[in-house]
Amino acid sequence: MPPAAAVELNQLSKSFRVRRVRSTGVGARVRDLFSRETHTVSAVDRLSFSIAPGERVAFIGPNGAGKSTTLKMLAGILQPDGGDVHVLGLVPSRQRRQLAFQIGTVFGQRSQLWYQLPPRDTFELLGRVYEIDPQEHRRRIETLSSVFALGSLVATPVRHLSLGERMRCEIVASLIHSPRMLFLDEPTIGLDVSAKAMIRELLWTESERERVTLLLTSHDTGDMERVCTRAIVINHGRLLWDGPIAALRRSYLKGKRVTLWSDAEHLELSLPGVRVLSSGSYRTELEIAIEITPLGQVVDAAQRQAAIRDMAIEDTPLDDVIRALYAAADIRSGPS
Amino acid sequence: MTAARISRYAAFSRISAKQARRERNELYGRMAFFVVILGVFSSLWRAVAEAGMPVAVVAADPRAVVWYLAATEWILLSAPPIHIEIQEAVRRGDVVYRLGHPVSYVVAEFASGLGLLAVRAPFLGLTAFLCAFAFTRWTPPLTALLIVVPFGFAASALITALYLGIGLLAFWLQDVAPVYWVWQKLMFVLGGLMLPLELYPAFVQRAAVFTPFPSLLAAPASFVLGTHLVTPGALAGRLVIWSVATAFGVSWIFRRAVSAVTINGG
Repeated sequence: MPPAAAVELNQLSKSFRVRRVRSTGVGARVRDLFSRETHTVSAVDRLSFSIAPGERVAFIGPNGAGKSTTLKMLAGILQPDGGDVHVLGLVPSRQRRQLAFQIGTVFGQRSQLWYQLPPRDTFELLGRVYEIDPQEHRRRIETLSSVFALGSLVATPVRHLSLGERMRCEIVASLIHSPRMLFLDEPTIGLDVSAKAMIRELLWTESERERVTLLLTSHDTGDMERVCTRAIVINHGRLLWDGPIAALRRSYLKGKRVTLWSDAEHLELSLPGVRVLSSGSYRTELEIAIEITPLGQVVDAAQRQAAIRDMAIEDTPLDDVIRALYAAADIRSGPS
Repeated sequence: MTAARISRYAAFSRISAKQARRERNELYGRMAFFVVILGVFSSLWRAVAEAGMPVAVVAADPRAVVWYLAATEWILLSAPPIHIEIQEAVRRGDVVYRLGHPVSYVVAEFASGLGLLAVRAPFLGLTAFLCAFAFTRWTPPLTALLIVVPFGFAASALITALYLGIGLLAFWLQDVAPVYWVWQKLMFVLGGLMLPLELYPAFVQRAAVFTPFPSLLAAPASFVLGTHLVTPGALAGRLVIWSVATAFGVSWIFRRAVSAVTINGG
């Protein structure tokens, strides 16, 4: 029998009433005091997808796409307006407390650590909150502290920790009760390159080690590529794309980014499907639609102008792929 | 409530008490405020007595009025302003973590408040006693003090619960300061914070009876004044009634808040 889905969304919807500010002017402001005009903003619009146990899924979308709202509905913090949602077989809005024992949440710009106290105190509190056996709790803290290389950080007041150190402690706090599912909302936001790399590595390792299902929202494509295997892309609360990250690249990757170092200071290449991104100082950067003009033709054309000393070929960055996806969706949906 | 559940909420009290012990500066600030306010008011009441004004309306001994003020200020200053904590958690969005835990948000916040209260009340109580004694060179009867302490602690706990209710309004208002200011002014007048209720016009005294404020400040403090606004039994009854009403009110506000909650920052 195939395992039940860890997350199952069916036509999930959520909208918010937002106050509409009347035109400026004293009269309008006074009228606002007595009767406020509101309009409905659809944050999540009939969203459906499912996630298998142990999967690591990137949940992607531009600002205001409905990612965080969806995560909060999955965690039972927000109540959906319509549709069905099941997380680990439970209905989050109705069974929030039972579900809380089985899920962990990390919100990158929020904190659950007590600011004046060392993380150890918060871990102890969470041990009580999640009714963990004291001995098992101690072992769990030791294991996670070792995996996340916390060392003396557990005894350092949170206010003295760097953002990266604090984030490692936040993730440990979210894993302390051995959740089967972890929701991560921008876990690397604001971190430097090395801290980001460390967090990604730790998340991947922990997910592999304990088969924790991950659902990660981030604007950083590095998070998605290094931690996740599948991407769900939404915009305006609707599903845009759902599939393996490699397939996302293939579907939208119609080009290559090529950098040529040549004997000529500038290269003049006017071929169909070839866009010169920059040219100068003996270096030319091109974006090539390989379906229109094969790479070999471009290199031949360049060599006719000057000797090519070196060349670098890269896939289009995932950022560009996602940007193209959003743009295509906006064109399809038309002006709103 | 089972032992396991009590243990969970007691953990919130313990950690907030620990945090309060780390945040000593705030406690020292409150103690300093205590010294100043009792110094000012004891001088004021001495001047009133020396000017031959009728202090006897409120107390046979003008020194008792200083002890009354010490008691009301002790009760009020011991109650931690948890509405500010809640407001900030709502504004920053940190409230998502607390709402996601398998505990009652309201009870956890109240338990945290009690932890802070447990640290503040003894320190401020000692400060109140020493200041009032230093300024009056007199102490009320021991029985009066023994009545004030438990009732004062209970009243502070109830004020903490009321602050919790004010804090929950942040889910709609974001900034609860205006609500708090109104509440504070009502506390000043109807609670008899600075002046015993007997000094206010009759209509204020009549209006105060229908509010929780006299039970929170004036009534517990009246035992040191010697006027005994109510008997200890009646005061206990009133505190229980207002506690039940507050519990219903706070849980109603919370239910409304979570059904309409929008978390800041997405």
